[in-house]
Formats: sequence, structure tokens, C-alpha cells
Amino acid sequence: MEFGSIIVYFTIMIGIFAILALGLNVQYGFSGLVNFGHVAFFAIGAYTSAIVTTAGAPFIVGIILAGLTSAMMGFLVALPTSKLSVGYWAITTLGIGEVIRLVALNEEWLTKGSFGIEGIPQPLSKLIHISNYPVLYLCIVWMFVGLSYFLMAKLANSPFGRVLKVIREEEDLALAMGKPVFIFKLKAMALGATFAGISGSLYAHYITYISPSDFTPIVTFIVWAMVIIGGKGNLAGSIIGAVVIVVFFNSTRYLKDFLHMRAEIVASLRMVAIGILVILSVLYKPEGLIKEKKKTYDI
Amino acid sequence: MSFVQIILNAVIFGSQLGLLALGLTMTYSILRFANFAHGELALVGAYLTYLFSVNLKLHFISALIFAIGLTGVVAVLSDRLIFKKLREAPALVLIIASLGLSISVRHIMSAIWGPDPLGYKQALAKVYNFWGAHITSTQLIILMVAGSAMVFFHLLLHRTKLGKAMRALSDNRSLAQDHGINVERIITWVWFICGCYAGLGGALIALETALWPELGFQIILPVFCAAILGGVGNVYGAVAGALVLGFAENIGLSVNWSSVIDLFKIFRIERMLFIPTEYKSAISFLMLVLVLILFPTGIMKGRKGH
Amino acid sequence: MLEVKGIYKSFGGLMAIRGLSLEITKGSIIGLIGPNGSGKSTLFNIVSGFIRADRGEVYFNGEKINGLPPYEIAQKGLVRTFQVSKPLKQMTVLENMLLSYCPQIGENVISGLFKRRQIRAQEEKNLQKALDLMELTGIVHLANEYSSHLSGGQQKLLSLARILARDPEMILLDEPTAGVNPALIKKFMSFIKEIRLERGKTFFLVEHDMNFISGVCDKVYVLDSGVKIAEGTPEQIQKDEKVLQVYLGRWTKK
Repeated sequence: MEFGSIIVYFTIMIGIFAILALGLNVQYGFSGLVNFGHVAFFAIGAYTSAIVTTAGAPFIVGIILAGLTSAMMGFLVALPTSKLSVGYWAITTLGIGEVIRLVALNEEWLTKGSFGIEGIPQPLSKLIHISNYPVLYLCIVWMFVGLSYFLMAKLANSPFGRVLKVIREEEDLALAMGKPVFIFKLKAMALGATFAGISGSLYAHYITYISPSDFTPIVTFIVWAMVIIGGKGNLAGSIIGAVVIVVFFNSTRYLKDFLHMRAEIVASLRMVAIGILVILSVLYKPEGLIKEKKKTYDI
Repeated sequence: MSFVQIILNAVIFGSQLGLLALGLTMTYSILRFANFAHGELALVGAYLTYLFSVNLKLHFISALIFAIGLTGVVAVLSDRLIFKKLREAPALVLIIASLGLSISVRHIMSAIWGPDPLGYKQALAKVYNFWGAHITSTQLIILMVAGSAMVFFHLLLHRTKLGKAMRALSDNRSLAQDHGINVERIITWVWFICGCYAGLGGALIALETALWPELGFQIILPVFCAAILGGVGNVYGAVAGALVLGFAENIGLSVNWSSVIDLFKIFRIERMLFIPTEYKSAISFLMLVLVLILFPTGIMKGRKGH
Repeated sequence: MLEVKGIYKSFGGLMAIRGLSLEITKGSIIGLIGPNGSGKSTLFNIVSGFIRADRGEVYFNGEKINGLPPYEIAQKGLVRTFQVSKPLKQMTVLENMLLSYCPQIGENVISGLFKRRQIRAQEEKNLQKALDLMELTGIVHLANEYSSHLSGGQQKLLSLARILARDPEMILLDEPTAGVNPALIKKFMSFIKEIRLERGKTFFLVEHDMNFISGVCDKVYVLDSGVKIAEGTPEQIQKDEKVLQVYLGRWTKK
């Protein structure tokens, strides 16, 4: 692959994961909700978009439906879980993620099971020559990145964002202030899930072939790594985290030629390194690379 | 499948799971966080057993003993290097650290031994038939080893000073501290013992089925389910929970659900309705969700012993 | 204004509150004292909705509030502070204040995104109100500081300011002087009396500091082991036999 197309590939993947990380950041970074099943929303978005567009609908319908179904799933997940303590919430969301993957694997009538869905149509592909298409897709992805971040920045600064922060910091205080905490948690989960669904759709239409093996808990972990390393509660942090992890992940692919090791071993070591990075982050730089900004007022 | 077979399968699975669950429930209640790396302790035990018995060609029993001991050491190391530094941190931070640890360990094993399933190369097992069910000699050994290990744990918990301290820490840490218990020392022992039990559980699972890097992750969900079902901190509950899950998974798959639905006269399904085998692991999880919906704080932590 | 009728609460076999009843009239300042473990915090938690009573009822302005979630009770005008101040680590004092105003537009996704102009107007208005309150409580110079950087006493002032921002009808103060230096305590006392006088608020407070109690309370209830053992003016209960027995001379006189 020539250098230009590698850069394009990297940038598209960074964009897709930046939106996915943003979704998790909304749930965890802003609202303190522990979601270990984030890959489920990614998968639902991807499959919804794939199923709908391979049946003939246009891309824009696919991506909107992807966001909506993921949002609904976010609501459903939050419904029973938001009253649980941290450990239970973690395990429950992890389980939900796995159940979604099992459904994708087994319900062949819907998802074609382990065969996956192929030939996912790419938006606007007729508009431009096939060799230049990735650049067009890059623009589409980053347009969504921009839109997502713009919306989230506005929300974070609004009273809504403020309440999410209190819920994260001190839930009892939020209750004592008259805020219906449960409802906010539902909304936060649904909102984060929406972003994940959108990024799932973008993923599906880029790779054009999805199967349940794309949606393992490792994806959840990688996104967590992005949020932890990049900085929680911090929009720029999600992008930085995505950049760090995607670059690391993909550049080590080329390391194997340097190190003369088999590909699988390098792949394993890559994950070991990310695991260690997360541990180190948690131990030594818990706020991540970029700290949350202080909100000041002119008085 | 005969009913006896179902019971047998359930007990075998439950006993293996129980070894893991009792360790997890103890670390969860004493260290106060959900250790997602517990499954990987089982994995380490299984791979170390492989190392000693297959790679180094030691006798299986000695290999097992070395492996279990080393797993205990690994558990203590994980505490010293990581979790100890986070004693005051909120539970979530510990959980994330344990997640990072589990990913790292899993892939270290994969890097060393490869991603393919491995076996312990033990002699072919004899099969015994009775009451319409069958059991292999390997499974018998597993049952005996697991059973004795659990009895041993009970004795440890109730007949030794260490056990008493562990129970005290689990029930009420500040009270225990006031009574002069050296918390850090006990914690070290807790990690060692729970690590050993996890390693044993992992080796037994690998003995019966196979050993591959995803084993730790595949087992972690049922282990948590068993521990939470039995009440976090309740060792006997954890074992009971493991058995319940063993039954649930086996019965859940064997039952013709359309006749059950018929019983409730909800609506009539003409064909037979079985839960597909692929959803087996989802059964444990669904039970957990049910329990947590009904008891959001988990089933009341039972007081160990009584 | 507040009626507590026959409350029972036990925790795993331990009876925390036994058949407790009390009444608080509008515009009064009522104290609740008792040794540690007598059930004071439990009662507060039950009244404010954080814990559910096993038996009994709580009425606020004639309306039954036991069983309601804490945020609904707060919305009805019954608010509380916490014994251990809960500082918000990543939020400034001003953000703390702005949170308190209720109802606010912009606290959901749609209005947060689309009602920008109205939100801005509301924020300006609330900002001014917040600054005034902070001036009153003497923490206005800390406006843009992280609330966790405040001293113990300042945090108590902040929680008081937060509560007042809600313009509540009744205020529950959970050990307001804990960890506060004596000079500030005097200030607190005059604050509370002033607020009651000028704004007609009702106070119900849990305290250990007898000076504080005698200084502000119209009436005091005394609890021991979950049971009410005495009620009356501060002077009366200080002379009460049962009360003296329970405390065995353990008044904290400063």
C-alpha cells in the first residue's frame, strides 16, 4: 500500500473510533456510568445500517436508523442497570455486550450469522472514481466527527452537561438538589449509544463487510483505553486517545518485519502493550493525557 | 439426555466454577472491587500446569502443585505491583486496572503458547456407566479434587486464625482493624489462597476440556454470576451459586420450553422450543440480570458460616 | 409544616428508630440531639427520602412524602445538607451554585442544544442571583475555585448557599458545625436566625454543639437509641433528668 492510502486509512479509522470513544466518554467521562458492553452499541449501529442499506435504503437512512436503534438499546440497558453499584453494572454491561454478539452470531435470518453481511453499499460511491473514493469517505467520516463533537461541546457546556457532572461526582448531592438522577442516566446512556451507533454505521460502510467477530469485547476494551489514556470528561481527549491507540495498533503491524517475529505474536504483544498502558495510565496519570478544563465565569 | 446425566454435568461444571467463584467472592468482598483478572488467574494456573506437565514433562500431580503455588504467587504479585497502589482509589479505577491486567495476561499466554487449544496429554480416561448416565475417570478425579479443596477451604476459614481474620475482614474491615488485625498481611494471604484456588479451577477445567487463551474470559461471566448469586463475601453461597448455574445451563438447554409456556397458558407453540446451545453462556447471564433486577444491591451478603 | 408519625426503621436486626413522632411548625428552628447511634442521621435520611422507613409516615405541608424519591422531595421545597460535605472535585463554586436553580431550562438534550438564547438569559440571571447569595455567605471571592479546594468551613457555607439558592421552604441541616472553627460558628448562628427572620424559612437541624443549639433553636427533640426521650426548649431539656442521664455530662461546651 502506498503511503498516501495508508494515511487515509489511518485517518478514517481514527475518525470512526473518535466518535465511538466520544460515545463512551459521554457515558463514563461525563456521567460516571460504567459501560463494559460498549461494543454492543457499535455492533447494533453497524448491523442496522448494513441490513437496511443492503435491502435498498440509502446511506443517510442507514446511519440515522443506526443512531436511533443504538439509542433505544442504550435506554434499555440503562433501565435495569442504573441503580446498580459499580462492579455489578460493569459485569451486567459486559454480559449484555456478549449477548448481543451471540444474537448476531446465531440469528442468521437477521444477521447472516457467522457469514456476516457483505457488499455493504458505500455512500456517494458513484460520484467519484474508485481509486479516490477513500478520500471522499474520509470527508464524510470527519464531517460526522465534527458534527458529533460540536453537538457534544454545546451539550457539555449546557445545564444538561452540568447535571451529568454532578451525577458523576456525587450522585446523592444531585438527588438532594432535586435532579431526577435516574432519568439523566437513561439519557446519558442513550446519547453515548447514539454516537456509538453512528460510528458503527460509518465502520460498516467503510469496510463493506461485517461479521460478529468484528464486535468482540476487545473492541470495548480498546475504546476504554482511548478514553482512559486520552482523558475522561474531555472531548479533545477522546480524539487524542483515538489517535494514540489507532496509530499504535496499526503501526505495530509493520513492526513485525523489523522484529522478525510471527504476525500472531506481534498481535498478542500489541494487546499486552495496550493493557500495560492502561494500567500505567490508571496508576500514574488517572486524568489522562488531557485534563478536564475548568469552567470559569466572568464576574 | 437422562436426568442423572444433567445432574452430573451440572455438578461437575459447578464444582469447577465453584473453585473460581469462592476465590472471587473473597477478593471482591475484602478488596472491595470486582477483579476482572480473576479469570486470567485460572488461565495462568492452567498454562503453568501445561508448562510443568507437558513442556517440562513432570508428573501431573507435581506439575499441578507447582502450578497452583505459582499462580498464588502471581496473584500476590498482581496485588503488590498494581492493586496495592490503588487501595484508596474508587472501585472503578481498580476495575479498569484489573481489565488491563486481564488483557495483558491473556495475550502474554497467547504469545508464549499460541492461540490454538492445547491438552494435557493425559492417558485416555475410562468411562463408567450407571443409572443411564456416564462419567469418565477424569471427571471423577475432578470431582474429588474440587470437593476436597472446598472442604479444605472450609476448614481453613473456620479452624485457623488466618481464616478467622479473613472472615472478619470480609464482614467488617474497620472493626477488624480495631481488633488489631494486620490488614495488609491478611490481604497478601487472601490473594495467595484465592490465586491458588483459581489456578486449580483453571487446571481442572482445562483437564476436562481444553486450554486456550480465551478460557479466562469465557469463564469470568459465569464466575461473577455465581459469586453475585450467592451473595458477595459468602463463600458457601458462591459454591451454591456455581451449582445453581451448572443446573440452569444444563437444564435450560434440555427443557422443551414450549411445554413450559403451555403450562402457563400464555399461547400455544406448535413445535418444540429449545434454547439453542450457542446461547448456553447467556443463561448464566440472564439469571444474573434477573437477580439484580429484583435485588439491585445483590442478594444480601450472607454472613459466612451462619 | 413537617409531621413525622410513628416511624420505625431497622437495619438487619438492629432497631435504629422506634415509634418516633415529631412535629415542626412553619418558621421555627428545631434542633435534634442525641448520642451517636441514636438515629438522628437515619431520621434525616428518611425525611429527605434517602432511606425508606419500615413503618410510619412523613407529611410535609399536609402531603405524604415518605416513599418518594429524594429529588421529588427536594422539588417540593424540603432540602437538606450532608454531614460530610460533598465537594464536587471538578466543578467550581459557581457551577455548584448554578446547579441549584430549579427548574432550569436546558437540562435535557433538546433544550440544551436548541434553546441557546433562553439558556444564556437564564444563566445570566442565575449568575447574578448566585453571586448575591455568595456575597451574603461570604464566599464570593471563591467563585471560580474548584469547590474541593475550599476549607471545611467554606464548604459548609457553600452548602448553605446552595440550599438557599433553591428558595426552599424547609431546610434540614445535618451537623452544620462539624469541622468548623468557632468564629465561623458564630456567623452561622446569626445567619440562620437572619434567614428565618427575613425569608421565613424553617430549619430542622442535627447538632452536637449545645451552644449552637441553645443559640438558635426554639425547640429541641432528644433521641436515644431510636426513641424520643425528651422535647422542649433548650433550657428545659438541659435540665431534664433523662437527658442528663443519657449524656452523662457529655455536653460539648465551647
